Amino acid sequence: MQDSYLIAGIAVAVFATFLTRAIPFIFFAKRKPSPLIRYIEWNMPLMIMVILVFYALKDVKWNQYPFGIAELIGVSIAILAHVKFNNALLSIIISTATYMFLIQKVFV
Amino acid sequence: MRFFSIFKLTIPVMMGYIPLGMAFGLLLSKMMIPWYYAFFMSTFIFAGSGQFLALTLFASQASILEIGIATFLLNLRHSFYGLSMVSTFKNFSWKKNYLIFGLTDETFALLKTSEIEERDKERVYLIITALNQSYWVIGSVIGAILGNVLPFNYKGIEFSLTALFVVLSIDLYKKSKLHKPFLIAIIIGLVGMLGFPSDKMLILSLSLAAAVLILFRRNLEDAR
Repeated sequence: MQDSYLIAGIAVAVFATFLTRAIPFIFFAKRKPSPLIRYIEWNMPLMIMVILVFYALKDVKWNQYPFGIAELIGVSIAILAHVKFNNALLSIIISTATYMFLIQKVFV
Repeated sequence: MRFFSIFKLTIPVMMGYIPLGMAFGLLLSKMMIPWYYAFFMSTFIFAGSGQFLALTLFASQASILEIGIATFLLNLRHSFYGLSMVSTFKNFSWKKNYLIFGLTDETFALLKTSEIEERDKERVYLIITALNQSYWVIGSVIGAILGNVLPFNYKGIEFSLTALFVVLSIDLYKKSKLHKPFLIAIIIGLVGMLGFPSDKMLILSLSLAAAVLILFRRNLEDAR
């Protein structure tokens, strides 16, 4: 991959990321947030996070072997572990380890 | 507050950032990108999912404009975090710019949940943010270097990101007052995953979610 492309891409990502964090401080430093902003602030993060789950699974080929079974098992384990133990790190590690085992050893 | 007590606060983040940073570094090295790019990205971008997204976009040779828009939309959630820090940071010195830069999901969670005396806040916040970033940078550099050296089969390690999103969804769901947006997001996510073109899935789904949230505000708030 070309260095100039990587550097330009990273520079843009740096700027875009900082902008998302700085926007509220630029626009709302003086006034109180409106009820609409409060409403979005409360509800949008959950929607974003749920959509990110599906985004992460968007390249799974559901109509050919192994039909996304490893992904479904991995996600199910993450949900079950997190609901039961409420430990983010633990849930991520066991579900990822299971997933890696499945795609490396079972659905080769 | 003593340094050691602050360090103790950040241990959960350390346990998350080092392996996740390593996953990022491994993925980067798998794409044949030199390790020092992991260092630069983690130092100057400092956004977990944003950096994974950047790698995905690099792999598909996305245009610079697409990288900018996609990163902006993905990280836009940070704006919602910043919103509730505006009043807290108000009286801090210029150093608050670093706090704004470093406002990741986890750092935000720590700053919001820790109990610190008012006059000690700025110093403690700066240390928490810097520690968290150091874990992320260290993890990603280790991952990027070991990825080239260790004969470890890390195929599938990127699933840790999927799992992270699952875990954060559950955490946010537990805290949310309205439950309908959760169901709507599942429907939009499913439709987006199966129906939208893969490269525009995130932008289309997030815009649709924001539109539904705002347009049907009355229906959603009534049905709590």
